[in-house]
Amino acid sequence: MKEEREEGDEWEEDINTLPCNPYFLLVPFLLPPPKNMIHLQNIEKVYRTSTIETLALNNINLNIRKGEFVSIMGPSGCGKSTLLNVMGLLDEPSKGTVEIDGQAVTQYRDKELAKLRNQKIGFIFQSFHLINDLSVLDNVEIPLLYRSANGRPRQDYAKDALTKVGLSNRMKHFPKQLSGGQKQRVAIARAIVGNPDIILADEPTGNLDSAMGNEIMAILQQLNNDGATIVMVTHDEQMAKRTHRLVRLFDGTQVL
Amino acid sequence: MLQHLLKLIWNKKKAHMLLIVEIWASFMVLFGLATLIVVNVGNYREPLGFSYERVWAIGLNTNQDTTELANKVQRIVQRLKAYPEVESVTRMSGNFPFSANQMNNGIEYNKRNVLADHYTTDENFAKTLEMPVVAGRWFRHTDSVGKYWPIVINQKAKEGLFGDENALGKVVAEKFKVVGVVDNFKAKGEFMSNKPAYFELVNAKESWNNTMLIRVKPGTDAVFEAKVVKDIATMVKGWSVEVDYLTDSRKNQHNLVMVPVIIASIISGFLLINVALGLFGVLNLSIAKRRGEIGLRRAIGATGSGISSQFIGEIWVLATFALLIGLLFAAQFPILNVFDLATGVYVTAILIAVGVIYGIVTLCALFPSRQAALIQPAVALHEE
Repeated sequence: MKEEREEGDEWEEDINTLPCNPYFLLVPFLLPPPKNMIHLQNIEKVYRTSTIETLALNNINLNIRKGEFVSIMGPSGCGKSTLLNVMGLLDEPSKGTVEIDGQAVTQYRDKELAKLRNQKIGFIFQSFHLINDLSVLDNVEIPLLYRSANGRPRQDYAKDALTKVGLSNRMKHFPKQLSGGQKQRVAIARAIVGNPDIILADEPTGNLDSAMGNEIMAILQQLNNDGATIVMVTHDEQMAKRTHRLVRLFDGTQVL
Repeated sequence: MLQHLLKLIWNKKKAHMLLIVEIWASFMVLFGLATLIVVNVGNYREPLGFSYERVWAIGLNTNQDTTELANKVQRIVQRLKAYPEVESVTRMSGNFPFSANQMNNGIEYNKRNVLADHYTTDENFAKTLEMPVVAGRWFRHTDSVGKYWPIVINQKAKEGLFGDENALGKVVAEKFKVVGVVDNFKAKGEFMSNKPAYFELVNAKESWNNTMLIRVKPGTDAVFEAKVVKDIATMVKGWSVEVDYLTDSRKNQHNLVMVPVIIASIISGFLLINVALGLFGVLNLSIAKRRGEIGLRRAIGATGSGISSQFIGEIWVLATFALLIGLLFAAQFPILNVFDLATGVYVTAILIAVGVIYGIVTLCALFPSRQAALIQPAVALHEE
């Protein structure tokens, strides 16, 4: 799985390790531009009930390139989470097209969408969404269950992921025995265990104090440095400033 | 995935304990009921060994009369034979086919003991009940002059006493000589197990054994029954006469067997309904409480049908825990040979009970699990 991510990642690595040699200034012009990891075109999302129609997203056009760290900001109810759900293939847009890593998913069936989510996307949620009846290790293993990975390698990948987030000593613990920051780190381990290209984080620091929030942000930045494309919904300007790009929404419309 | 489900249910075992106990109790009752049914079906498939249609049992009660009883009985037999409506008459003990009476004795041959049903009857018994004799012959009244009293045994008694040896001519219990072997004789009806039995020739001079079995011609009706009763009452003053049709007696015997089966079925039915409602409720509640988890699983790669399968799988794991405990109990029956039934009966009953339990839990899980599959991940994750 690791190999998959490293293929074609020369551009990010070069950008990140750009030396001061002036000849290297030509490198961006010589190398092909990074491909779009997420491409949203004319996205519209309308929620309808028998009495009311709510336009949650209106004409969103967004390209997120491979290796980008993008934050989405906006007031409550502006459609941030809806946009993240559309990107994560959890919600279908009413109009427009979604492409993930070059694959147009409009015609995809449930099974194909599930496979794409499992293999390409990792999710991190504000409220962690850990299963309290399973140990930390078992929680982290879950995405691999849906790839029919065998028991031993599955455990090894989960242990690796937990080591990356600094929780190798909490594998046998249950979520109730962990602090909020530790829970979020477990959620991050679960998101990265399948080595996805994209990580979608819905207010990952929203339930944490600033110290914990900074820790989580540092982990996300490290994952981004390692090549992951990250889209993060946040209310926190300071956190948003630490990302490559900011997308602002207002009443379902992209304003920045 | 199975390992994952096992962990999930094992970690929640305390929460599911009551349900496990309920499924276990249902399994035990079902196992008992299935055993009863398997035994009765097995018995039912064994031939009865005789024909009972158009056979009437005429019970004679001498009441206060004590004079010349044997002669009077003989006269009645002759009178019955004389009716043109009667094909055959036989005299026998009170434990006639499908009656509530039972008589058994231990008989011995070469230190082999068999507890066998004992019937006393005359030479016309096999003819009246159209009972085939598979070896030797049915006894005749002339056999009574020999040193040993003639008996006919059934195949089951023959196997018990003689195994593969030829039974004919053998002396049993130092006083009976085997003159014939019949196949099955299930006097209590189709649901009776085929037990060892022997038929002893009635002594014509005895005044007891006063039941007459008559085979009447087709079309003979209650008018003839009334005539017979009236004639006998005229012949033997003070005696009471009672006529039973063997077809009716057979129904009564069947009812005696069916009543416990029906009671067990009702109890079992109630328990299963309880389990079904319990499971349905628990699953619905579980799905309502686990919407976040369902959303998460969908987000990280589960399909709708995968979610549905997971909930059905969980309930199967739960049922398996209960059934494993139940199997520990059920296995004691064949191991300790409780009720003296064949191991195959218990094994079949266990398989039936396990099948029914899995069937019910699957049915109960289908609807809630489909509901779970329909949960929109974006909505469920947002609720949390």
